Amino acid sequence: MTTSSPLIHVVDDDESLRTALLRLLDAAGFNARGYASVGEFLLQPLPEGPGCVLLDVRMPGPSGLDLQAALLRQGNALPVVFLTGYADVVVSVQAMKAGALDFLTKPVEREALFEALQRALAHDAAERAARAEAEQLRAAFAALTPREQAVFDQVVAGQLNKQIADALGIAERTVKMQRAQMMTKLGVSSAAELGRLAERLQHLPD
Amino acid sequence: MMLRAKHRSIVRLWVACWLLFAPAVPAEENRCVLVLYSNNRLLPANIEFETGLRETLDNSTELNAEFLDYPRFEGESYLRALTTFLHEKYALRPPAVLIAGGKGALDFVLRHRAELFPGVPVIHAAVSRSFLRSRPPLPADVVGVPIEFDFPGTIELALRLHPRARRLVLVTGASKQDRAWEAELRGDVAQFQDRVTTEFLAGLPTDTLLQRLSGLDGDTLVVTPGYFEDGVGHLFSPREAAGLIAAAAAAPVYGPFDTFIGIGIVGGSMPNFAAMGQQAGRLVKDRLAGGAPAAPRLPEMMPKAVNLDWRQIRRWDIDPSAIPDGAIVRFKPPTLLEQHATATVFATVVFLLQAGLIARLLFESRRRRRMELAIQQQRFELAHASRLAVAGELTGAIAHEINQPLGAILSNADAADLLLASDEDRRDELRAIMADIRRDNMRASEVIRRLRALLAKQPADWHTFALNDAVRELEPVLRAEARRRGVALDLRLAATATTLLGDRVQIQQVLINLALNAMDAANGLPEARRAVALSVERDADRLTLVVRDRGQGIAPEHLPRLFDSFFSTKPRGMGLGLSITRTLVEAHGGRVWAESDPGAGAVFRVEWPAVDDAGTAEPA
Repeated sequence: MTTSSPLIHVVDDDESLRTALLRLLDAAGFNARGYASVGEFLLQPLPEGPGCVLLDVRMPGPSGLDLQAALLRQGNALPVVFLTGYADVVVSVQAMKAGALDFLTKPVEREALFEALQRALAHDAAERAARAEAEQLRAAFAALTPREQAVFDQVVAGQLNKQIADALGIAERTVKMQRAQMMTKLGVSSAAELGRLAERLQHLPD
Repeated sequence: MMLRAKHRSIVRLWVACWLLFAPAVPAEENRCVLVLYSNNRLLPANIEFETGLRETLDNSTELNAEFLDYPRFEGESYLRALTTFLHEKYALRPPAVLIAGGKGALDFVLRHRAELFPGVPVIHAAVSRSFLRSRPPLPADVVGVPIEFDFPGTIELALRLHPRARRLVLVTGASKQDRAWEAELRGDVAQFQDRVTTEFLAGLPTDTLLQRLSGLDGDTLVVTPGYFEDGVGHLFSPREAAGLIAAAAAAPVYGPFDTFIGIGIVGGSMPNFAAMGQQAGRLVKDRLAGGAPAAPRLPEMMPKAVNLDWRQIRRWDIDPSAIPDGAIVRFKPPTLLEQHATATVFATVVFLLQAGLIARLLFESRRRRRMELAIQQQRFELAHASRLAVAGELTGAIAHEINQPLGAILSNADAADLLLASDEDRRDELRAIMADIRRDNMRASEVIRRLRALLAKQPADWHTFALNDAVRELEPVLRAEARRRGVALDLRLAATATTLLGDRVQIQQVLINLALNAMDAANGLPEARRAVALSVERDADRLTLVVRDRGQGIAPEHLPRLFDSFFSTKPRGMGLGLSITRTLVEAHGGRVWAESDPGAGAVFRVEWPAVDDAGTAEPA
């Protein structure tokens, strides 16, 4: 809560409600910014920093669901918390399937709202951390020479040095050397660690 | 002589042959019946009798008839020759049963039976009981049901039908039979002498008789059995004689034989000759079947019945109520039903069906009128129900409308709470919050007020109001619903006065129905076509509400039925919305119709005559 960087984007066409929400969030120490429509939100450059979106479902023009879809398409991982005047089942299911973290109904209790927003911000922080780590991994992997990447693949596939040497047509000694270099570059010290890393790499988001 | 002898020997040879072969033929194979009538073959009584006899016997029974032709032919030599003739004639085809019709025939048979048809059982018919009583008992194989010519009954009948008659004339003939009847009648009239004077016209020449009869006066009755022979030897059948008598007499004529009915007599108490034939036929059948009818089982007497000729009853102006019960009244013109039973029944059925149909149609039409009134009534009820249904459909929009200010209020209150907890002095901000809370509170209660007005089941409440205002009032709800459905709503009000006289809520109902209908049409269309335009237009004498959508339009075949109750093209539509709409519009003196451009949308127009601000219709 005290971290100053996360920004909560409040998108609601009802000025009165938007104002009230911004007041509340401000009083509670959140950083928040209001938008009167999806269009207004999209006119700004997509926020890079940490935060989340508190989104009304029904608005003139594109709806909250449309915005959620657009954010997903653009690879922006800002978590979405919906806040709607009338929660019908179809819409809420659609929203949750599309990855919304919460689906709140107006009028919303302060605690429920804050909890949802905290969860969204924590989720965002975790996502960002994971993304940063993945970036790092990817960068490290990209730094390997093609030969080292080939050895990486063989090791991960469970091959012994001798088998790798046969498969790649190089001396077993050379395999050992490249394997050591590769592990140093990736910052792992054991084959088991390497396996876990490979797994993470495989499951990285794009 | 030689020739005759030769013939006789041939006959005897045939008889011998027949006798030789006879045992080979079973007795029951002989189904020959010979009827011997006392009188002439054309005597109506004989014809009637034979008809009755024939209809009783099977076709397999061979029926032969011989006539003694009494009283035209009489005398010992005649009877002898006749006996020989019959003997010869029936030598090869002897009857199995012999019927004697009438007392003359019975008398003849009893006398010549031994030489004619020995051992052949005899059935007598139409023989009077008085004759049977006058002679020795019949042999056991001679049976029959006696008759009684009912002279007393006939006279009694005549007196009953003519209570004012003072004189009774009895007409008889000159033959032996005629004299027997005369004698019988003389005995019978004795009992009526205290009621009427009696006079016999017996054995007169026919001309004289008829002349006398034509001079009778009104309070006289004639009773006659007819006669075979008149005073100058002219021969008749009793029926012919009775016919002449009836034709000449200036008084009603009665007779005891049913064969007289139809020739001019009024009627009489009569045995029925056809019934006698049937009775004889039944006895013959018994005989042919091998049984001997036990005498005690036979009726003691052939039944008699009063027979009357309706035409004579009318002619003599007889009171029909005097006709005895059970009388057979002939020649009564059959009623329509009797005469053309099938046609009458058919016509009656057709008539009844038609009457039923007409009654049914009248009933249906009245019922329909009643139902139409009831439906009119119900539509207003339904208008309410439909408003509730609309409210259901609008739940989302309504919830949104209310929750929006409630949400703002809560968040503002929470913010104020937090601000108060902080140390800073943020009074200005708190004041703004309080103002917002108050405003949102008003907003929420306004939504509820409008909703209540919309849903209230209130009697039509007629005022003048501005259509613009009524539309404006609904705008938030309509917008909310349009937003919920992702439909663009374009709303245009008229620039000039839009005064309308009527029930504001009902008009709003119309608006909602049409607007929701238009939004339904937008379902599933690409976004560019999900648009509904609603406008209020006003020209010199008309106020128009136009609701336009850009949906698929209305199929031409659906246009005429669009406003009918329970007509719907929507999968879950009740088909009431537009029907109620029309009812409400028409109740306000307006009309509603739809235009469609298939594939490009539909336009619903509601048109009312314009009203000036005072609420009176504006002159066009």
